[in-house]
Amino acid sequence: MPELPQRKVGIVACSGEELAEGTVTRLAALRVLEHLRPGETVTICLPLFLAGGEGDRAFARFYPTIALDGCDKRCAARATELYSGKPAAGVVVTDLVREHGLGQPEGARRLNASGQQAVEVTANRVAGLVDEILGGQWSRHSGSFVEAAPAATPEAAPQAGCACASAIPVQTVDVDGQAVPVAALPLIFEQFRGAGKAPGAEVTKELLATVKIYNDVPAGTDGAYLAALAREFAAYCARKQARP
Amino acid sequence: MSPEVRKVMVVPCSGIGKTYGTVSREAAYEVTEDLRPRSTQLVALSLLVLGDEEARAAVRAHPAVTIDGCKLTCAAKMVQESGGQVAQGIAVLDVYRRNRELKPQGIAELNEGGHLLAHAVAEEITVIVDDLVAREEAPDHA
Repeated sequence: MPELPQRKVGIVACSGEELAEGTVTRLAALRVLEHLRPGETVTICLPLFLAGGEGDRAFARFYPTIALDGCDKRCAARATELYSGKPAAGVVVTDLVREHGLGQPEGARRLNASGQQAVEVTANRVAGLVDEILGGQWSRHSGSFVEAAPAATPEAAPQAGCACASAIPVQTVDVDGQAVPVAALPLIFEQFRGAGKAPGAEVTKELLATVKIYNDVPAGTDGAYLAALAREFAAYCARKQARP
Repeated sequence: MSPEVRKVMVVPCSGIGKTYGTVSREAAYEVTEDLRPRSTQLVALSLLVLGDEEARAAVRAHPAVTIDGCKLTCAAKMVQESGGQVAQGIAVLDVYRRNRELKPQGIAELNEGGHLLAHAVAEEITVIVDDLVAREEAPDHA
């Protein structure tokens, strides 16, 4: 049976090679991924939004995402929004340096002491944002928190997560005449069928609840989504029965 | 960025999830800061992703050497997407296959093998850069 990833926060760093602040984003992201919030975060290389496939571009629709930028060009935030989905939050290193009265980070290749301090401050800010996002229900559609919800349970064996080789499967379905890409739907169908669940009204409601974990379902569209999911799951099961 | 005084653009892949991405980045710094600072220019991949005009102009106006840490070849693809020409694409994994004793480890901080592999990559790029510069400076170059 496939395993759906638990709810995690995606971190997209600009990694700008030209600037010390770009190196700060990279090292701060890695500190969060490897040490501060290892079971609750995942990352992707920014260029994959263009160089990768649809599954890579689904990243920010699948994970609430923190864009981590070195300068006010905000390449990570803007590219994430342009090619994948609106980030849940953004951090700009130059702003943090100013806020905290740190010295100027220098040395893109080898950070000076101020750069190392900036890594600490940035990583802590990102970790705090991860906690906020996992403690609330983030709407990818509106770009804001919609209601309080229990924090996600961390995974048992924390490890740094890279999404490079694990593009998220996306299935486009007709929802009330609109072609809507639904992240993780193939995995969800496979999981439900593997659990012995057959098409039916109750199972369709469960499907919608699972779809909502990974996708933004606009308010007032539950009925249209239920109809679409019922139709698609029945078709999926029929296909599997014909070609197990 | 001053592409008019630089001959070859060096574009590393920005890979953040694997050690080979860090090797790519370190090799790019070694070429542009230590080995051939006057004839090369580092181009940040994030700028190309966002379509930054100055970065795009740089890779359009000059040959580019790309350094990729995995088979997805983001750096090479982004240079091409930006209208530039990849004069030579370097795959870190290929260099590692030729130098099996240099096993890289670590992402935030490379081990010694990683630094040595980055140096091997940088040395290969230096040969390519010298060749490209020689061709650009040849009397019959258009």
